[in-house]
Amino acid sequence: MTIRRLVIIAAVAGLVTFWAAGRLAQRSEPARSSGLSVVDVLAGSDTAGFARALEPRPFVFPADHGPHPDFRTEWWYVTANLEGALGDRFGVQLTIFRSALAPEGPSAVSDWTTNQAYMGHFAVTDVSADRFSAFERFARGAQGLAGAQSDPPRAWLEDWEIEAIDDDAFRIRASQPGLAVELVLRSSKALVLQGEEGLSQKGPGAGNASYYYSFTRMEAEGVVRRDGRETAVEGSAWLDREWSTSALAAGQVGWDWFALQLDDGRDLMVYRMRRADGTADAYSKGVLVGTRGEPTPLDLEDIDLTVEERWTSPSTGVTYPASWSLAVPSAGLALRIQPVRSDQELDVTFRYWEGAVDVEGRAHGEPVSGVGYVELTGYGAEIGSRVDVARGRRITEEPGG
Amino acid sequence: MSRLHRASSLRYLLKHPAQLALSVLGVALGVAVVVALDLAIQSSRAAFEASTTTVAGRATHMVIGGPTGVDAAVFRRIRLEIGLREAAPVIEGFVTTAAVPGITLRLLGVDPFSEAAFRPYLGGGPSDGRVGTLLTTEGGVFLSAETAASSGLGVGDTFSLETNRGPRPVVLAGLLEPVDAFDRVGVRDLAITDIGLAEDLVGRPGGLSRVDLAVPAGDAGNALLERIRAILPPDARLEEAGTRTRTLEGMIGAFDLNLTALSLLALVFGMFLIYNTMTFSVVQRRNLIGSLRAIGVTRGEIFRGIAVEAALLGAVGTAFGIGLGIVLGRGLVRLITRTINDLYFVLNVEGLAVSPGVIVKGAVIGVTATVLTALPPAWEASGANPRQALLRSALEGTARRWVPKAAISGLMLAALALPILLLSGESLIVSFLAIFLVILSLALLTPLGTVLLVATVAPLLRRAGGTLWAIAARSVVTSLSRTGPAIAALVVAVSVVVGLGSMITSFRSTLIGWLDQTLQADIYVSLPSTVSSRPEGTLPPGVVDVLTSAPEVAGFSTYRGTEFQTDYGLTRLVALDLDPRGEAAFTFQAGRPREAFASFRDGEGLLVSEPFAYRHRLSVGDDVRLPTVSGERSFAVSGVFFDYGSERGTLMIARDTYDRYFDDPEITSLGLFLSTDSDSEATVVALGRRLADAGLADVPVIVRSNRALRDTSLRVFDRTFAVTGVLRALAFVVAFIGVLSALMAIQLERSRELGLLRATGLTPRELWKVVTAETGILGFVAGIQAIPIGVALAAIMIFIVNKRSFGWTLQMEVPFALLAQSVGLALLGALLAGLYPAWRMARVSPAEALRDE
Repeated sequence: MTIRRLVIIAAVAGLVTFWAAGRLAQRSEPARSSGLSVVDVLAGSDTAGFARALEPRPFVFPADHGPHPDFRTEWWYVTANLEGALGDRFGVQLTIFRSALAPEGPSAVSDWTTNQAYMGHFAVTDVSADRFSAFERFARGAQGLAGAQSDPPRAWLEDWEIEAIDDDAFRIRASQPGLAVELVLRSSKALVLQGEEGLSQKGPGAGNASYYYSFTRMEAEGVVRRDGRETAVEGSAWLDREWSTSALAAGQVGWDWFALQLDDGRDLMVYRMRRADGTADAYSKGVLVGTRGEPTPLDLEDIDLTVEERWTSPSTGVTYPASWSLAVPSAGLALRIQPVRSDQELDVTFRYWEGAVDVEGRAHGEPVSGVGYVELTGYGAEIGSRVDVARGRRITEEPGG
Repeated sequence: MSRLHRASSLRYLLKHPAQLALSVLGVALGVAVVVALDLAIQSSRAAFEASTTTVAGRATHMVIGGPTGVDAAVFRRIRLEIGLREAAPVIEGFVTTAAVPGITLRLLGVDPFSEAAFRPYLGGGPSDGRVGTLLTTEGGVFLSAETAASSGLGVGDTFSLETNRGPRPVVLAGLLEPVDAFDRVGVRDLAITDIGLAEDLVGRPGGLSRVDLAVPAGDAGNALLERIRAILPPDARLEEAGTRTRTLEGMIGAFDLNLTALSLLALVFGMFLIYNTMTFSVVQRRNLIGSLRAIGVTRGEIFRGIAVEAALLGAVGTAFGIGLGIVLGRGLVRLITRTINDLYFVLNVEGLAVSPGVIVKGAVIGVTATVLTALPPAWEASGANPRQALLRSALEGTARRWVPKAAISGLMLAALALPILLLSGESLIVSFLAIFLVILSLALLTPLGTVLLVATVAPLLRRAGGTLWAIAARSVVTSLSRTGPAIAALVVAVSVVVGLGSMITSFRSTLIGWLDQTLQADIYVSLPSTVSSRPEGTLPPGVVDVLTSAPEVAGFSTYRGTEFQTDYGLTRLVALDLDPRGEAAFTFQAGRPREAFASFRDGEGLLVSEPFAYRHRLSVGDDVRLPTVSGERSFAVSGVFFDYGSERGTLMIARDTYDRYFDDPEITSLGLFLSTDSDSEATVVALGRRLADAGLADVPVIVRSNRALRDTSLRVFDRTFAVTGVLRALAFVVAFIGVLSALMAIQLERSRELGLLRATGLTPRELWKVVTAETGILGFVAGIQAIPIGVALAAIMIFIVNKRSFGWTLQMEVPFALLAQSVGLALLGALLAGLYPAWRMARVSPAEALRDE
């Protein structure tokens, strides 16, 4: 799943490079911060000294739910569509990114010293209250501030936490002043080892790959707290686990990623990688997951994706796709995808749109519906192009991983 | 002012260019000293503010700890349990590097991920992208772009940092590029590293210097602060961000005030000079003024005329003075900065910040002072009726009548000044006011003193030098309207030289006595300090054992110097494991030694240094509250000892007591007592070998003899007083020029009188004799009178100003050599002043001299 991986590498690289830009700077000088284009963030990655994903490996659970610190990048990525008893509708995203800033930490003997840094994104779409809130955190993997461990498997960034409570069950927790989410996720399907037995090739060349598995359908149950009011919620969640070292190829400006859970029991994941010339990259891929978790890989030519509507963010001025037609003829799917609300833009250091969506359509002629999450990155680069010009040097210097 | 009057005024001034030049110079110097010092103080203050503000960033509060700082767990709990994300851990220290000579860099160890809310200059934008390398670069340091450029360092270059743990190689990992000018000043002396590296460089494992917090104002913020207070360990404190800055500012307040007072003294001399010049010019123009009055010019016009003249003179002098002040200020700011670094805290001041406020202030002071001092002569000139004004004798008559009046007012002023001085409590400003009153009162007494002195010496002079000397002596008294101010100025100038000189000598000899007493151990072991004003770092492990087990060592004391915030401000606490031989190091101002030590060793009592006791009004038996690991605790004062090592004072606690209440096993320095047959210098060498043999050759400790440490301490002292010395010299130069100008004017004015003498047979040679005799008498009379005044000033400065500023008791010492020197100086100045007039008089033919204007 190159797209997701790109997002994450980008995000984690963003953490390293642009923590300083901070949200304050971003607010006061939008032109400058929007210069943090995905491509720029992805550039300049030196893979030397890190472990690489070269061949399929045996996965051991629950240990592999924990960290793999020799790889440069790793993430625990949860999205969920939830409903309260009174019909409240929520979308929740909690992501913890681990990034090894260097193959080894400095030799200074200090409890602060580490080569591991963490970034977290926490977003809640409160459909009933017509509100979207997104938060970003950074912390070093030291002094208990942030970290990941294998026994029991757990990744945390301060009080944001994704913890394995069983081989196929997780507890997630995140809170911000006035907003908190606590969920228990239990998978109702076998986990999907992506790519070749969990070795997901991302581009040409050995090692340009990740180890990658997903729980595409998890039953979620828990609470959402808003300003002290607690709402019991349940719904379905999607968890991605991936670790890798290699970086993104040149020429790609961003991607559109879809993770859809249909009421016929199937899950569909599709990503389209966008090239600078506007075309879709050949590495665009997808996977259709059957009711028991059996994966069917999809290629670019299997997918027919059309943008139906667009939306311009009033706060950043960036225009994103806002409605799609998605057809997978080989699977008999013809779907219409509609965000639950337009504004689910994460105006964080590395800006992107990620939000809950509704799905309506037909499967082999029968009506089908569902929920899902869509991620859109690399939009609005034109605003930052002025800055990009200055940094073009770095981009061309390092043509991909 | 009528045109006629204006023209006459101008002509007069132009006809006496030397007189004019000296007056202008006098005003200029007076203003220059004030402006220079003001600018230097302002610059140091501005640099201080920029640096503290920049370092504190946007923090509203900070958590500070006890002797070992704040435990990192406190930061973690604030982040994780309280959930306050705007919290940043900071480790601060000081380092130097040959790459940036002359500057002590403020090492700031930060957690980059916690910084965005606090110090925006750390990440000016994408160009600072390598900030992430701070975490992972081996020895990665950020310097300001300006500092890096001036030191020729580029990103990626390796250089060496001198830390109190020895030299450490570091890499310039990136540049700080602050956006606003204020930060740009503030970051110049910053070296930013990752907190992990800083912990290693500064050598304070586990302890943070502080945790910066950004807490919103209002109820929500207060609630947050309450929650934070609730989780703090007993020895940690939560303070507003400004508190520390204010504490530090308060520390240098007394120092600044002392300097300002000295600069005002220079201005007072300048004013004497103006007064003298104006009086003289009025006296000289009595004929003219009488004529003007006779033809109908009103008193008011005369008065205004003289006032305007003074204002112009003042304006020109002030203009020069401000220019000169800026030049002088550049030198002074360096001296002041050095003193602040030695006495108080690390401060880097880059150049002089010429603030318009200071310039305007200097200008107003200069012109106002000139006009004010010109008022009495203007008043007198305009007050006289035309006929009287034409009479010189009338003036001298007035002047002589004025002598007792002046003396009485002088006595009255002195009577006023003394109670003010004694009753002003601890107010420094009032003390200085009283000192000025004393100076003024003594100056008012000098005419009487002069008359009396001359009356006393006149018979002797007649016997020794015949009629000519008698004439000279008489004329000193008969022309008192002009000699009076000159003598007063000279007296004040010389007395200040005597006073400051005695003060410094007393200070120095007290310090030497104290050092000899205090440095009881034969050898001292300490860390290479990057900063002399505060204790930093601890002795590396192993050093203590290796050194104290040497065969030459018969006993030892250990010291652990710490500095942390308490109810008493930034407090220096020394944990002392005192060898019995070291007890002699303490001389008690209060408390009996035997009981003091008993209570210190066994009763958990504190030994408190005199400045600390003075500042906080503590006496034996009083309680001192300190935050300890088991909460705040009171310790009784066992004794108050004399100490000149720290201006803010020191608390001494027995090591055993310290270990009970503070979780800190470290040692900062050692005092070694040698067996009687060991030679210190030889043992220093032997101990160095011993360290090397133990594999500690590279450990950065300094082993030095008693003598070497004493010399170092004295060097620091002398450096500290350099600025006082400079001011003393400047004050004297101003006064000297005043006297030169006054005496010269007096002699020039006497052309006619001397011409008469020449006409009646006085040879040029004899004329020389008369003139030099007269100025010599002036100088001598002034010098003699300066001695008691100078001694009185010294006493006031030593026993009142110094005590109030620094809390030190000094043993007063008035060196005879200084007194002789000062009288000699007065005499020499006066004789020099007589040279030109004498030379001129001697050349001019009597007829010409007698020709009327």
